[in-house]
Amino acid sequence: MTDAVNNRARKPLAKRASAFLEPYLYSAPALFLIAAVILVPLVVGISYAFRDIQLLNPFSGGFIGLDHFQALAGDKAFRRALGNTLWWTGASVFLQFVLGLILALLLDKPFYGRGLVQALVFLPWAVPTFLAGLNWAWLFNPVIGPLPHWFHALGLMAEPENILSDPALAMWGPIAANVWWGIPFFAITMLAALQSIPRDLYEAAAIDGAGPVQRFLSITLPFLAPTMAITILLRTVWIANFADLIVVMTSGGPANRTQIVASYIFTQAFRKLDFGYASAIALVLLVLLLAYALLIILLRQTLLNKG
Amino acid sequence: MKKLLTATCLSALMASAAHAETLTLVEVITSPARTETLESIVARFEEANPGTDVEIISLPWGEAFQKFATMVSAGNIPDVVEMPDSWVSLYANNGMLESLEPYLADWEYTDDLTDRALELGREVDGTAYMLPYGFYLRAMFYNKNLLEAAGISEPPATLAEFTEASAKISELDGKYGYCLRGGAGGLNGWLMYGADMAGSNVFFEEDGTSTANQEGWVEGFQWLIDLYQNGYAPKDSVNWGFNEIVAGFYSGTCAFLDQDPDALIAIAEHMDESDYGVTTMPKGPSGKTFPTIGYAGWSMMSASENKDLAWKLIATLEGPEGNVAWNKRTGALPVQKAAEEDPFYDSPQFAGWFEELNDPDAVPTVMPTYLEEFGFFKDSLSISTSQQALLGEITAQEMADEWADYLTKAQKKHLAK
Repeated sequence: MTDAVNNRARKPLAKRASAFLEPYLYSAPALFLIAAVILVPLVVGISYAFRDIQLLNPFSGGFIGLDHFQALAGDKAFRRALGNTLWWTGASVFLQFVLGLILALLLDKPFYGRGLVQALVFLPWAVPTFLAGLNWAWLFNPVIGPLPHWFHALGLMAEPENILSDPALAMWGPIAANVWWGIPFFAITMLAALQSIPRDLYEAAAIDGAGPVQRFLSITLPFLAPTMAITILLRTVWIANFADLIVVMTSGGPANRTQIVASYIFTQAFRKLDFGYASAIALVLLVLLLAYALLIILLRQTLLNKG
Repeated sequence: MKKLLTATCLSALMASAAHAETLTLVEVITSPARTETLESIVARFEEANPGTDVEIISLPWGEAFQKFATMVSAGNIPDVVEMPDSWVSLYANNGMLESLEPYLADWEYTDDLTDRALELGREVDGTAYMLPYGFYLRAMFYNKNLLEAAGISEPPATLAEFTEASAKISELDGKYGYCLRGGAGGLNGWLMYGADMAGSNVFFEEDGTSTANQEGWVEGFQWLIDLYQNGYAPKDSVNWGFNEIVAGFYSGTCAFLDQDPDALIAIAEHMDESDYGVTTMPKGPSGKTFPTIGYAGWSMMSASENKDLAWKLIATLEGPEGNVAWNKRTGALPVQKAAEEDPFYDSPQFAGWFEELNDPDAVPTVMPTYLEEFGFFKDSLSISTSQQALLGEITAQEMADEWADYLTKAQKKHLAK
């Protein structure tokens, strides 16, 4: 052992340096690409948040420090958008997850024609969001669409009205479209995780006298937990940033009731052409989502350690 | 850095393609039928100018504004672009549009353009940074069957009669008076009824102060809010955009619709000609009405490397033949005087517009599209605040104050230039 150490110390410096650098040189092209594609735009984007950037205005671009953030602190529309984002993300993820899990459990049982049903069930995932949004918007429209009339017939509504124009209910329109569109994602990932659970565990549990609920709680759930944590984390970040459906269906209306932070960023950047302010909002969203991701990862670690 | 890269790549590409005389044309108010017509006009241009090749880029209107702004700022600049009225000031004031004055000076058809076309084309700095191809003038569509069912013999001529007629029609089951446009593109209605009640379409005082929160205007806003809150328009209409109001009208849900001639295309497909009419917008207490006039045209980008050829393309699009063919498709009223002779514009539907155009008390009103901030005001600020007002969250006065505040700042900035 000591010989080896002495040997290493006696190697010429150049050789040692090259030995040390070798792995870095191999990975340099990849690192360089990652830096060019991800880090540079990220840093540039973050710098915009502290500058006055007006697209198409050649005289803008000066540094203005924290002005954008000061404006943001007093921006009522932003605060409302933040609340709407929590509601939109929470409801969408929860419903997508629960319904996706139920679907996966149903599809896990072999039955005649399962292949066809699986293919059909995953179809919404393949529909472009723009199209899904337009379709749902028309479905909710009482002039053209059936939904308000069905709600009316079921006694849920006094009049067949469009929920998208009701300030209290408008958010449920894009949420419904989002849930329909996002269930397959959870179903696919959960189904894959379910099928990797060894079947003999269930048989052994059944022989030991565990009922279906017990089997689900003590075998299925622990095996699914890591997949659940990761998929929920990913979907939450995606949905919080996902404004397509809202922009297509309500463009943030009525009266900003469905404006989420992501669609607000879009409005500031592409309607007002104020990239500086839009970047400042985006930075706030980024920090919030990072905090959330850290929380989930910590939660997962503690759960795993407990197990 | 990335911008630089794309710009150099693009200019390298352009340099290599320059021998083939390529022009790029961007259309922004896109529909499949319009693209087809545009391609046929452009094909004629290519035949007349052998060796030229026009590349058409079609942007869907819903995302055209941000797409085109992004294209231009990335250095991907076309030669000719379809220019809506609300964009002209933004691009012209940033020095991106070529003045068409020198070309218009020797064009054989300049004298055949209607006066209004040149007047509107010179909206920014009195210089023709765009040449309109057609006008979109608001007139009132009315559903004859619904009026009859409600026992109304004549379409309403004044705002008071309009309220009365809307109330009667709304008593019918599931029917409403007005196809209100509370969502995208709803600003025209607010400004028209505001001006009708104020008896003037002057948007600003001399010093740049907005008139939007003065008494008459606020009355006009209140009139529209009352119409909605009394249930004379569908509850849903707080969110309605173009497609919804047109569908609301041809499905017989609501009886009155203020729209431009281009809505005829969709409505004629779904309704019998005898079931609806077009008339002048209802008049305010002053006996005048102020229908908004919008327009779109063709502009040349100052970065174009082939300006003479680009003008030839614009001239083909704007000449009598191209202009009439194009407007038959877009539904706008043409800018060539010769077009009025065309049998196409002889139909009873167009009579409503020509009548309105010839009515001295119907004053075509141009919204203040020359303001750089107007795009945001029209597409975002005015929509969210007017929806709040319709839903009763803020008063007409509060909405008007917010509008006046924003517009005054924009106008003062404009005057300071």
